[in-house]
Amino acid sequence: MGVMDFLMQGFQTAIQPQNLFFAFIGVLIGTAVGVLPGIGPMSGVALLIPVTATFTSGMDPSAAATSSIILLAGVYYGAMYGGSTTSILLNTPGESSSVVTTLDGYQMARQGRAGAALSIAAIGSFFAGIVSIIGLVLLADPLSEMALKFGPAEYFSLMLLGLAAVSGLAGGSITKAWMMTVTGLLIATIGIDAVSGVARFTYDIPVLFGGLEFLTVAVGLFALGEVFKTILHKEEDAEKVAKVGRVLPSRADLKESAGPIARGSFLGFFIGVLPGAGATLASFFSYIAEKKISKNPEKFGKGAIAGVAAPESANNAASGGAMIPLLTLGIPGSGTTAILMGALIMYNVQPGPLLFSDHPDVAWGLIASMFIGNLMLLILNMPLVKVFAKIIETPAKYLLPIIIAISVFGVYAVQVTTFDLFLLIGFGLAGYLLAQNDYPIAPLVLGLVLGPMIENNMRRALTTSNGDFMVFVQQPISAFFLVCAVLWILIPFVLRLKGKNVVVNVEG
Amino acid sequence: MKTKKWKNWLVAGVILSSLTACSTGGSGSNAGESDYPKKPITVVAPSGAGGGWDLTARSLTKILGETKTVDQTMTVENKPGGGGAVYLAEFATQHKKDDYKLYVNSPPILINNLKKEGNSPYGFKDTTPLAQLTKDFGAIVVKEDSKYNNLKELMEAVKNDPKSVTAAGGSAPGSMDHLVAVLPAYKSDIDPKTVKYVSYDGGGEAIAALLGGNADYIATDASAVGEYLKAGKVKVLGISSTERLKGDLADVPTFKEAGIDADFTIWRGVFGPKEMSDSAVAYWDKTLKKLNESKEWQDELERNGWESEFKDGKEFETFLKDQEKQVEDLLKSLGMNK
Repeated sequence: MGVMDFLMQGFQTAIQPQNLFFAFIGVLIGTAVGVLPGIGPMSGVALLIPVTATFTSGMDPSAAATSSIILLAGVYYGAMYGGSTTSILLNTPGESSSVVTTLDGYQMARQGRAGAALSIAAIGSFFAGIVSIIGLVLLADPLSEMALKFGPAEYFSLMLLGLAAVSGLAGGSITKAWMMTVTGLLIATIGIDAVSGVARFTYDIPVLFGGLEFLTVAVGLFALGEVFKTILHKEEDAEKVAKVGRVLPSRADLKESAGPIARGSFLGFFIGVLPGAGATLASFFSYIAEKKISKNPEKFGKGAIAGVAAPESANNAASGGAMIPLLTLGIPGSGTTAILMGALIMYNVQPGPLLFSDHPDVAWGLIASMFIGNLMLLILNMPLVKVFAKIIETPAKYLLPIIIAISVFGVYAVQVTTFDLFLLIGFGLAGYLLAQNDYPIAPLVLGLVLGPMIENNMRRALTTSNGDFMVFVQQPISAFFLVCAVLWILIPFVLRLKGKNVVVNVEG
Repeated sequence: MKTKKWKNWLVAGVILSSLTACSTGGSGSNAGESDYPKKPITVVAPSGAGGGWDLTARSLTKILGETKTVDQTMTVENKPGGGGAVYLAEFATQHKKDDYKLYVNSPPILINNLKKEGNSPYGFKDTTPLAQLTKDFGAIVVKEDSKYNNLKELMEAVKNDPKSVTAAGGSAPGSMDHLVAVLPAYKSDIDPKTVKYVSYDGGGEAIAALLGGNADYIATDASAVGEYLKAGKVKVLGISSTERLKGDLADVPTFKEAGIDADFTIWRGVFGPKEMSDSAVAYWDKTLKKLNESKEWQDELERNGWESEFKDGKEFETFLKDQEKQVEDLLKSLGMNK
């Protein structure tokens, strides 16, 4: 039987009424989980495992496994759809993978284009979802082999490329962007070093052993920073209550987003396949890439629709890509896929090299249901856009307390320590001061994400090679990324030396 | 020592209650008939949702509730941070008399307390061990086409040229996978410090490194490798158990059979606060025994792929002391002890 036959069988499983129902419940809860900050996809899925177990208790084991995994996976990719909502409307990223969406999404909302931003996020997510499932069907085997080839040296060079591209997140000054990147890298060193086990900057305070939580820092810098700004500059902003314009994106919007959505989907999918890299990185990379190739890079950060379309497509595609190592190798690439794996094992379905031969009904039923679930999400999300977009019309005196409450609740729900709440306020103040002085915040956040990955992978590679730095250029994939990184920085300068008129991000 | 203390309390309780009717000194002379528990009980998993501790805590509360073994509501609370160390500090100080807080942990409660870096000042001695519930073992795994066919050969290679063999695991140096990875070396008279250990974020990434050829051997949980062995992707050279496992790993020799005189059990257990009242200790002793004998619990263990091993509070404490010694020796040999 070919892939198509298996897929058809999968659809037969997926369109059984109870499985359609489970897929719908899954994506519905997923949307809610995505919209509410704090309950991330990870805890959302974890909390639903016992519930689905009860739902499916009367069915035979294989069917029960299929139905529950359809529901739980629905929560996972549903959350990726919903994650953009608070980023766009309230500048409050609900998941780390939608941090970068705040940059342009929130600006769009302030200009009264919240509807367009939200619907383009939904459309992009839908397209990316479909692309990643097709990729999953056709490329699962070669890609899982490829992902294994990614050793520490390759990861290091890929991350370095990410850092080299950080200029793409610069606002006014490239120097300030680099300062913020380094600050991010420094903050990332706090905690127990994963490679040597040495405690750094922890001062024997146990709460610092795990380092600073990414979401706390991001929500503080973005959401609370914005709140402080609105409060302190009340007079100037008072009359500017943004009106919601049209809800659907205009023809121009669609045309402008088509490219970013397509590129974001492919980039996100491939990064998602790599275990450990994940949706957050995918969204950052696609944003930076779009800014780099855009004809109007100066529009980014001021409400460019491409700046919403690309990262939102990328993070959704990444969640599809992450299913590949999970299903074919039994290697979860992220916290959420680890929990999905736990759920499968509970039903005696072991993800891994034997999944597709031992349990084809579960594997293909899941894949087929993802097609259906993505369609449901699109239909579900478009009408919601209208409802959500109204939020932006709420006067500041009601909106600000809501943002603060959501931020505090969200951070506490993830970390469950009051320490993180103080951290949140601290980073909120920092976010305000930095923004007032034109220091871009996104490079700091990117440094915080990339820092541990760069460092750990570099040291893993060096441990393996007995300290020989040549390992980074001897591996072809790694060498390729390094060359790209060097070119990324050099080319604009070379072009300018030749007298060409290119933006070298000095102005931005 | 702790047992002695209980007895003292018991005696004190009996004397006090016989002296005065309104005694509060030791409520536990008649443990069986005490009215504990009177309030909802919280089981703390010192990690985020979804990890091994969390799943254990959730299974425990679920089965105790479903079988009506415990009438009071039991909830799971996640208190992540510091590999369990953050909440343990709170448990050992602020909640040390709170009979309604239970704590789930595994060997890291020993390791974190003994290692130099990222040390937790509190250990199992700051709790009341109530029971061990499950066990797992460490496994030494190589890729299917590896030139090493048994543990002896692998250790021989490490001995001859430690630089040529890369070991990997899913946890930080000085933690569980690292200890399992160097245990055979330590017992083969190899200086564990020379073993080249690369730490990854979790067992999944470590297996990926092995399959991708970025590590020569890995140490991981035995329960996690069965599927890869069945699919012919890996060879398992040894298991840190005292006797052969069943199922997929039945053909894999134990460390002892492979000529390495060592074993290591990865347990999961439940702890009460240090100054838990005698009535509460007695209650949990009885309740957890009953839980272990129930079919529902055994089914739940099987569903999760966990091996059952039950030790009551006293046995558990003796066992912990032994393992503490073993961990301390290993960390010392690595120069990573406190």
